Amino acid sequence: MGISQDEDGSLITYSLGSCIGVVIYDPVARVGGLLHYMLPESNLDPQKALKKPYMFADTGIPLLFKESYRFGGVKNRLIVKVAGGAQILDDSGFFNIGKRNYMAMRKLLWKNNILIKAEDVGGQVSRTVRLEMSTGEVWIKYSGEEEKKL
Amino acid sequence: MTTLELIIQSSSQLPPFPAVINKALELINKPTSSIQEVVETIQYDQAITADVLRVCNSAQFGLRRPVSSLNEALMYLGFNQLFNIMMSGAVAGTIGRAVSGYDLETGELWKHSVSSAILSQILTEALNRAPNPMLFTAALIHDIGKVVLHSHVQQQFQVIKTLVRDQNRSFLDAEKEVLGIDHAELGALITKNWNFPEEMITAIRFHHTPLSAGIHQETVYQIYLCDLIAMLTGIGGGVDGLSYQGYDEVMNYFQLAEKDIERFIAQLGDELHKVEALMGAQ
Repeated sequence: MGISQDEDGSLITYSLGSCIGVVIYDPVARVGGLLHYMLPESNLDPQKALKKPYMFADTGIPLLFKESYRFGGVKNRLIVKVAGGAQILDDSGFFNIGKRNYMAMRKLLWKNNILIKAEDVGGQVSRTVRLEMSTGEVWIKYSGEEEKKL
Repeated sequence: MTTLELIIQSSSQLPPFPAVINKALELINKPTSSIQEVVETIQYDQAITADVLRVCNSAQFGLRRPVSSLNEALMYLGFNQLFNIMMSGAVAGTIGRAVSGYDLETGELWKHSVSSAILSQILTEALNRAPNPMLFTAALIHDIGKVVLHSHVQQQFQVIKTLVRDQNRSFLDAEKEVLGIDHAELGALITKNWNFPEEMITAIRFHHTPLSAGIHQETVYQIYLCDLIAMLTGIGGGVDGLSYQGYDEVMNYFQLAEKDIERFIAQLGDELHKVEALMGAQ
């Protein structure tokens, strides 16, 4: 997880597989945040979630928002974009952790009345996500391809 | 020369495998040999010994006092861990290089490989199986075929991508169709040239198609799962991404559920320092 107010910099996370990258940006306070979580729910291992809250959607996402508030971010101004949640070729669901990661986030944001402005999720691709702090633009790069704006 | 012939020719140009490690693998496979014999064999190779000791003494391993001989390391770490460190050192140079055809920079394939190997330990423990040194090594080198195949994948990338994107084919299928051989087949060929044990060659050959192996089912299934879970985490993910087939049969065989996969991922997340330590063997 990272929070930034550095207008010359970028927040970036590499090679998201079934993990999800959540990007938030407040265009007024010019504060941005990026969370890369691996798993949907902390009840898998509450002890671990205490030590590593950013590993799980339900403990990581609230912290991402709270952390941005400390730097002047305001909830209803935050623009939320998400990427990741890829899956292998599998019909049965044993391995569809990407989908479960996505659903956990949707549920949490919906309960808190937060809208997702844009998303690039699912499929079999490995993604890199970058938030450009000077513009608030989010850029997605599929492995082996050019970066594109989300 | 056809593409296939070219690929096979370039696979024979990989540097040979250190003979002393082959000898160690052979000994491990023999039920009559002792741990002491294996350690004595390795000791003759000073470069490997020095490498092993360097990793043992690295901060990530957290030994209370530095070790100065293999026997001492054996005492503190146990045979399995010692052997794993040795194997990591032996293959790091080959697997650690950039594999640009898969859009993997230097060290990325290596990180995926070491993560798979750590997962093999996590899995062995969760499944209550006896530690099998073959497993760690097979997990480390399961993608060795990519090291040779990548330049050909790069040349034909648009064709392969079209098959994967538009026809929903697995990346493995697409490699086979376009190049005449896939990275699993090629990996088996390479490790055969290296005179590796059959169990390991089989695990590498079928790491994406475990149901077709026919023999060494346990090992093949475990390597399949280690690779798959490492892929899910995204660690060292390249152009092939997650374009591989999931098989319920393997999960049912081990009586594993969805939540178990999540548990393994969380455990790997906790043991990334181990990944870093073993990557230091390079």
